[in-house]
This record gives sequence, structure tokens and C-alpha cells, in this order.
Amino acid sequence: MWTGAYRSAAPTDIVANGDRSAHNMHMYTTPEGEDGGARREDHGDGWSPAFLAPTREPGWCLVEEGYSRAREHEIESLFTVANGYIGTRGSLSEGGSMTNPATFVAGVFVSNPEPDSVPGLLSIPDWTDLQVFVERTRLSLEQGCLLGHRRILDLRQGLLWREWRHRDPVGRVTRLWSLRLASLGDRHLLLQTTIVTPENYAGRVQIEARLGPLHNGLPWTVPPSMDPGDSSDSIVMQTTTGRGETIALAIAGEAGVGHMAGPAHAVERLDESILERWTCEVPFGESLRMTRIVSVHSSRETERPSLAARRRLAEAREQGIPRVIRMHVERWNDRWGAAGLEILGDDEAQRALRFAAYHLISAANPEDERTSVGARALTGDSYKGHVFWDTEIYVLPFYTLTDPATARALLMYRYRTLPSARRKARRLGYDGALYAWESTDTGEETTPPVAVTPEGEVVRILTGEQEHHISADVAYAVWQYWQATGDEAFLVQAGAEMLIESARFWASRAHLESDGRHHIRRVIGPDEYHETVDDNAYTNVMAQWNLRRGVDVVRLLQSRWPQEWAAAAGRLLFRAEEPEAWLRTADSIETGFDPHTRLFEQFHGYFGLEEIDLPKQRPPAIDVWLGRERLQRSKPIKQADVVAISALLWDQFPREVHEANFRYYEPRTAHGSSLSPALHAMVAARLGDAPLAEAYFRQAAEIDLANNMGNAAGGVHIAALGGLWQAAVFGMAGMRLRESGLAFAPHVPATWRRFSFSIQWRGRRLRVTVGRDPSHIEVHLLADAPMEVELIDGPRAVIHPGTRFRAERDHRQWRAWEKTEA
Amino acid sequence: MQPTSQTGTEAAAPSTILVPLDGSIQATAALPVAKGLADLEEATLRMIHVGTRHFPPHEVLRNLNLTPDQLAGSVLDQLSGPAGVGIVDQAREQRSRAIVMCVHTGMDKPKGALGSIAREVLLNAACPVVLVQPERGLLPWRLRHVLVPHDGTPTSSAAVGRAADLARRGQAELIVLHVATECCPGETGTFAAPRYLDQPQHEWSTWAQEFLRRAQVLGEAPSDVPMRVFLARGEAGQAIVDFATRGNSDLIALAWRGVLEPDRAATAQMVLKHAPCPIIIYRVAPPASEVPEASLGPARGW
Repeated sequence: MWTGAYRSAAPTDIVANGDRSAHNMHMYTTPEGEDGGARREDHGDGWSPAFLAPTREPGWCLVEEGYSRAREHEIESLFTVANGYIGTRGSLSEGGSMTNPATFVAGVFVSNPEPDSVPGLLSIPDWTDLQVFVERTRLSLEQGCLLGHRRILDLRQGLLWREWRHRDPVGRVTRLWSLRLASLGDRHLLLQTTIVTPENYAGRVQIEARLGPLHNGLPWTVPPSMDPGDSSDSIVMQTTTGRGETIALAIAGEAGVGHMAGPAHAVERLDESILERWTCEVPFGESLRMTRIVSVHSSRETERPSLAARRRLAEAREQGIPRVIRMHVERWNDRWGAAGLEILGDDEAQRALRFAAYHLISAANPEDERTSVGARALTGDSYKGHVFWDTEIYVLPFYTLTDPATARALLMYRYRTLPSARRKARRLGYDGALYAWESTDTGEETTPPVAVTPEGEVVRILTGEQEHHISADVAYAVWQYWQATGDEAFLVQAGAEMLIESARFWASRAHLESDGRHHIRRVIGPDEYHETVDDNAYTNVMAQWNLRRGVDVVRLLQSRWPQEWAAAAGRLLFRAEEPEAWLRTADSIETGFDPHTRLFEQFHGYFGLEEIDLPKQRPPAIDVWLGRERLQRSKPIKQADVVAISALLWDQFPREVHEANFRYYEPRTAHGSSLSPALHAMVAARLGDAPLAEAYFRQAAEIDLANNMGNAAGGVHIAALGGLWQAAVFGMAGMRLRESGLAFAPHVPATWRRFSFSIQWRGRRLRVTVGRDPSHIEVHLLADAPMEVELIDGPRAVIHPGTRFRAERDHRQWRAWEKTEA
Repeated sequence: MQPTSQTGTEAAAPSTILVPLDGSIQATAALPVAKGLADLEEATLRMIHVGTRHFPPHEVLRNLNLTPDQLAGSVLDQLSGPAGVGIVDQAREQRSRAIVMCVHTGMDKPKGALGSIAREVLLNAACPVVLVQPERGLLPWRLRHVLVPHDGTPTSSAAVGRAADLARRGQAELIVLHVATECCPGETGTFAAPRYLDQPQHEWSTWAQEFLRRAQVLGEAPSDVPMRVFLARGEAGQAIVDFATRGNSDLIALAWRGVLEPDRAATAQMVLKHAPCPIIIYRVAPPASEVPEASLGPARGW
């Protein structure tokens, strides 16, 4: 039991004593062991009040005041704490009528025995459950008098804070403070601390914490020889999924009241759960502090997950809970150092971008190559944890340019699932690899075959059979990662194989027809309103790109790594004539491009469809009110399709082509997909249409953050969040990857006075700032070797580590880069 | 009519379903519905005639177009004074569970037109008002299908709970209908038809589950009443009427914000005019915000 000192007067003292936020910020930038300030205020047990405070700057916090049952599910998603291995929704510990707690372990799926069902992400028993009783009255937001309630998602520190004041029917006022985290310092650890302070009384306070009951229909059992109440002072539970994985969690509680001995502790084993109870008399002016710490392990990492969980838990307790929190905060500090974002002049946009980056950092794990990021990350059970093209096209660029190790791990997931992709291609009669439209742990296709609409209609789902562009999307992400990192080992060992196998798929998928052109028929493009179409422009242009990159990577390996290439070629049964055949196919693929109008036809026959004016208001998805059949016959499109070509392959086509296609397709896009607004923001910005870019940026930001749509109830839209980051970096700052460095074409919205962001390029860390009045760009190369920076249609410069280079625009002309003081 | 004092014995008084009658044959169309509701609510059917004439006992049935069977087991009172005020006051004094009356009782009124008395009652009654189309006549009424239109706002959920309670009593099916319209209500916490439908195979089941959960919890509906949600599209009022017609609804339960101006209550007006079945109208206010009584002040550490 932890019995450290804590006095409830401390918070008041802190506020009175001075600037805690400055202290916090100081701590973030001070290496471990040099944080003199924090240590001076330490109470001797490591629980320094200054250390334990929410970040003060509003731009780093998402704050929810009060309590609204109607919004609770959204709040739970938005306020999730996660670390890429495990994620816990921001549910109320004590529960409420709308509470939907869940903790997910990345990549661990359970099968559903019902027909036509697909695997879903496992949710482990709710470890956050905590009931507080004051003199036998259970504290609840929905009973008694709510004097105050606030939740703060502290993006800076990766902490979920909660403060709550409650008055019971006889007038007892109780203050509760809590923090929750999913450790970034050790991804197997979860922690929740609660402090209960009787404000105007002394009395009996009891805390009950329940672990269980069953989730996903799987029995969670206490492993043999690990009964609750054994000498380890922790509880261990485990389950085995039907897919062969064992998950174990170990949990321990530590409670203390001021300088007194710890509260009485009892453990009770119920039918389907384990109940722990801590009871004590809390003197006036004192507080009861209760911490629950959890360690989770699976059979993917260790042969004996229950043993590993218990050992790790014991180690963490040995280190001390403050140390666990400190390590977590320091890791977040590191991550923000590599992915920091600042917007001067638009607080909402800044908060939205940081919120996006927070969830992106929380979503992925660089240490696990067997998992990827599902459509709702680890924030909700919607989409069942399934992985789509979203990951490679929308999410992955953030990691590639801020945390390459994570990007690599995500790409390795695709490499590990390559056998399944090969099987899918064979099953459909093609060569190479066709990735699953929806993928889980094995990489097998897991798209549900049907959907039942709320109109009662049973709809056949064709995406799993026809949405083939995903193979090119994976190839695109591989190549982008290679360009940005120069990770030779990855390219040689894994990346090349994915590029080659996807190129082979397209070579077999495209058919040479009597018109002398290669056609790709019966597909679905990103615009899923139009199914079973021929020659979807996005699919065909990406296939063409994929075939050419396949050739590039073969030639690269042949010239630079001949030995490794020889081995790979043998393993892949590579035929020498394949590259030439790929080039011929690529050159003759029908893309639907008309050089006279400069337009791509989205698919064969699109231009002949019915025109429908889209409403200017904020409607529900157009397929809801127009109906699927009418939609198939008309022009409204679901999301960026041809515009996605502009977003991904900007340098492949002249600006006039992008302009013509954007102006044609943007008014016809209904944005029925959450992926769409961000890509439109990016392309509008590149075209210099700042007002439209800003409008789409705000629309993308609202997808999860608006308070009257309920979009986020089933989890945050991680791809939209990744798209938002791309809109800012690739759109507003206009950044593009080059062989020798980075190029920029800034188009900053009128409200953004200055936009700064951190990125990595081939091992170099940079801080880039673009701003207005006058238009300028500044690049600070923090370390490593020199590199080139370029302004599109403007000057270039070679910049050196430790230097800042700045360029300003005079009217429409960029002046030369100038070195400024470092 | 003087308000009665509230005593402990009154609190336990049996509940009533109030049926205003004006002597027209049309007004009696409310009786089968009122009888059915009284059975469900285990309430006493209380008919009242409010007017300038007080009929002697032997003339009452004839003047109110009633048969002895219709009166069996019920109470009939005659009160003097203006009808609208009298009905509303009686309902309040009797703590009636509902007022059941015809939309109008005039022979020359177009179908569904809201009569002046019904309008006055609707605007002022504290209890739910059930409006019955006079055209349905004296056909027996039984509750098997309840339809609750829901615009996605927390305010609308109030009707769900009360309708669910009725459905449970009648062992009836409860269907919540959301009509996707071109604009989303601005009320905080609204959960309307999705604006983004990334992958329908995942979105629809999640959406339906979430919609029902919110409606059930915010409406404080009993958890043992099975509910289904359906989505319709088009003009909301017409879509509700069409759905009720196709689904043989026996009752439409409407949450109503207390406004009848044509530009602000188009859906309610449309349903009142064209509903194929009786409508129970629950007057609702936006939910009391669960806003703390006092501020916490700036965020602090511990």
C-alpha cells in the first residue's frame, strides 16, 4: 500500500504561490534528472503538486465543462487515452446512464460466430470502474447536486484530467480529482489516480473498484495459482481469443490518506468479476488518494502473458507511481518535440491540429509490426478495428514525417500480411498482391458482405470485391516512406517486395483491349457512390504510377544492392521481362484524361450522368436523402477521387490540370465521406484558393469536434485527423518531398499569422515556419547533414545543421533564401 | 372551478383520462381511443361537457350523442364556462394522464384542421393531448404499433420515454422514425442522420444503435421495451404520415415544443392534418442542462 502524504490544502497553495504552467513547461524541456524545480517542490514521495497539474495553455487542452448525457459517447471517444498498444475511452469511472467504457488492445481481434459477421477488436474488462461512497451514499453525476464538473484532455502531457465537486442531500461537499493515462513510457501500463477530498466534513469514505465482467463473450479467468489476494497484492485475469491469442492483465490498487495508515482493503470474488474495496475515515482537511495501475500483455509478445503482466506491474510499483507518470509525460514531450504544431492567429485551428496530432500519436505503436491503425484507432468499437486505405493515404504521412519508426512498423504490417494479399489476388484470378479492403490481424478480407440500412433495406457490399486501388495506396505509402526516410534496409527487405507484388497485380488486372489501351473494368474508386465502374481515373492513374515505381525499385535494387536483389528475384520468381511489360501496360492504361479540356473523366461514362445541384446547407450524407439508385445515375460523388490524384501526384501533372479538375469536381463532391474535406483543403491551398482551403479545413476539423452531430460517438475519425495534418503541412505550407530535400509553396489562410511545424526528413529534424505580412518561410535544420530547401518556382538553398534560413515573398516573387541567426 | 388543495390522499387518487364532449357526433370519435388509453393506464375515463347549457340527467346522453354503453364505467361531468379553459383546468385539477379529443368537431372543417378549442387545449394543457380525427368514427382502438418521430435532438427524446411506457403497457411495438432532412438541428447533443457515411456496412448498425441508446436514455424509457429505428427521407411531415400509413401505426407520439406558428412547426402541422391515426402530443422543453450549480474556477493541480 502506498501511504504517502498529501494534504488537500495543496492546490490552493499552488495557485497562490505562482506560475505553475511555467514550471510545467520548464519540466518538459529539461532532461530527466535535471529538473531541479520539480524536485524542490516534491513532497518526499515523488507526488510533486507542480508536476501533477494540467497544462495551463488553453491551446494544449480540450476542455469539457459540465455534464451532458447527450454528448457522453462523443466525449468518451475524444477523451480517449491511448498509446498504440492499448487505448481506454474517456468514460466516467463511476458510470452513468450513457457510459460506454471500453479498453482495446491493438491488433487483438475476436471472431463472432454469427453468419456473415466479421472479426472485431477485443475489449478487455473495464479497469477504470471506480465507485466512491461517502457515508454509504454513492457519488454520481446524475444524483445529488453537481457543483462543478470538468474534464480536460491534456494534449501536451497525454493525460485525462477530471475535477468534480458534488454535494449530497445532507450538504456534504466532496471534491474529486482524477487523472488517467495510457503510458507512452511503457505501452503495457495504464494508470488512474483519484483523490477524494471531503471539503466540509470528516467521514467514512469507501472506494469500490470492480474488474469485469465478461466482454465480447469471452470468459476472463484468474489463472491457476494466481488467486486474488495472493502475496503479490495484485489481481491477474486472462482470456484466450478464438484466434489463438491470450491476453492477460494484472491490476493493483494503492490507497493512502495523508500521514495515516492505509485504508482497510478487501477483495471479493463475484461470479463474473472481482471487487476490491478500500474503506477509511477521512479526517477533515485530508484526502483519500487511490491509484489503480494495470499492466497488459498478450501472447504476441511473451509466452506467459499473465506472468509478464504481473512482473511488469510489480516493477512499475517498485519504481513508484510518480515515476511512471513522469516517464509517460517525458515521452509525450519527446513526441511533441518531433511533431509540434503552432498556429498564431487562429486558436481553433491550432487546437484542432494538436487534437489531430494527439490522437495520431496515440494510435500507433512503433514497436509492433503486427498491427496497424483501424478506422477509429483505439477510441471506439465502430468499424471493429478494421484497417482500410485510410491508414496508408491519410494517416501514414504524419508518421513518415514525424516518427519514421512508427511509419515503418505500419508498413511492416502490410508486409506481414502480404501472403493474404497474394491469396486474395489468386482467388480473384490475378497475379501479385491485392490487399484486403478491410484488414484485421491476418490480412484476410474482412469486409462485411451485407449491410442493413435503417430503411430496412439489405444492401450487398461490393467494396471487398471491387475496391482495388488499395494495393496502389499501400505501394504509394511505401514509396513515400522511402523518399522521406531513405530507409534502405526497409526498402530492400520489405518495401521492394510490396512494390513489385502490387505492380504485378496491376499488370494482370489491366487488360489490353481492341482499342490498343489497357482497361481496368468493374472497380469501385474512392467515390463509392458509383460501383462496378470501368476505368476509374484514380484507380488507373495510381495503377500506372504503381507499375512505374515497380520498375524503378527493380532497377534500384539491381544497381545498388545486386546481391540482395538476386535473392529477392529468386524468392519472387521474378522474370527479367516483367519491368518492360509493366512499362508498356502503364503507358497504355486508359486514364480518361482529355488533353483539350484537361479533365479526367472520373470513370467511363461519368460525364453523361445526370447533373444534380448539391445543397448549400449542411445535409446528411447525400446517399441518405437521394437514395443509392438515383446516386448511381447521377454525378454527385462521395469524396475526393480525381481530386485525390491532385493530392497525391501533384508533381506528375501541370498546375492547369489540377485547377481544371478541382474546379470541375469540387462542386460535384457531396463529401459524404469524412476523408473528403481535408484533401479538398489541401488541394485548394495548393491552388492558392485560401478561403476555400480554410473552409474545408474547418469542415474537416469539425468532423470530430462539432457538438451537434454526434459523429465521434463510435470513435474519432483518425483518417480525417491525419488528413487535417496533411492539409496544413502539404496544403497550407505546400511541402513536397524532393530527392535532395524539401520544397515548399506556402498558401497560408488569412487568419493564420504564422504556422510552425516540426518534421523529419532522412534523419534530419527540421522546424518549418510559414507566415504572412510579409509572406515568408523559415526553415531551421536542427541536426545532422546539410540538405536542400526549395520554393516552388522560386529560389533554392542548401541549409546546414544548426542554421535557420528565411525567404520572403515580394508581391508574387520569392526573394533569395537568407541565413538568419540560429 | 376552484383548484383543490393538494393533500396526501389526493396524491394517491386514481388517474383519469379526460374526454371533452361538445354534443357533436364528431366529438364522440375520441371515445374509443380514450377508452383504450384508459385501459392501458388503468385510469378512469372522465367525460366532460363544458358549455353554457347544463343538461338535466335524462337529456344528457341524447344531447351529447352518447349511448349508455359508452358511459359504462366512466364519469360524466358538466361544467360551465369557456370550453378551452375549462378542459385545461379540469385536466390539471384531476391530474389527468391525458386529454383525448377530436382535432375538430365542426362539420365544415377540412380534414385534419385544428379546431379552436383543440388549439387552445393544446397550447395550454400541462398533460399530453391526444388528438383524434373525427373521421375514424367509433371504430374500436387498440395499441399495437406506436410511431415516435424523432428529429435527433435531445428534446425530442422526451417523447420516446413516455411512448415507450405506453407501448409496454399495451405490449405494442415501438418504432422510432428519423427523417433525414437537408439541415441538421443546431441543438447541442443532436444526433441526426449521419453527415458522413464512410462505410455503410459499419456506419448504419453503429448509427442505429447509438440513435436508440440516446433516445432511450435521454427519454428515460424503460429498458425492457424493444425499439427499432427507421430512417426516412424527404419532407419530414409527409414522411411521417407516409410511414405511419404504411406501418399501420395506431398512435403517433410527437414531442412538441409548444409553438404552432406555421413557419416553426411545419412538421407538427403536417402530421396533425394528415395523420392516419391518433396523435399523442407531449409538450417538451429543451432538457434542463446538466450544468453545474457553481463554477470550479480555473483548472488546478492537486
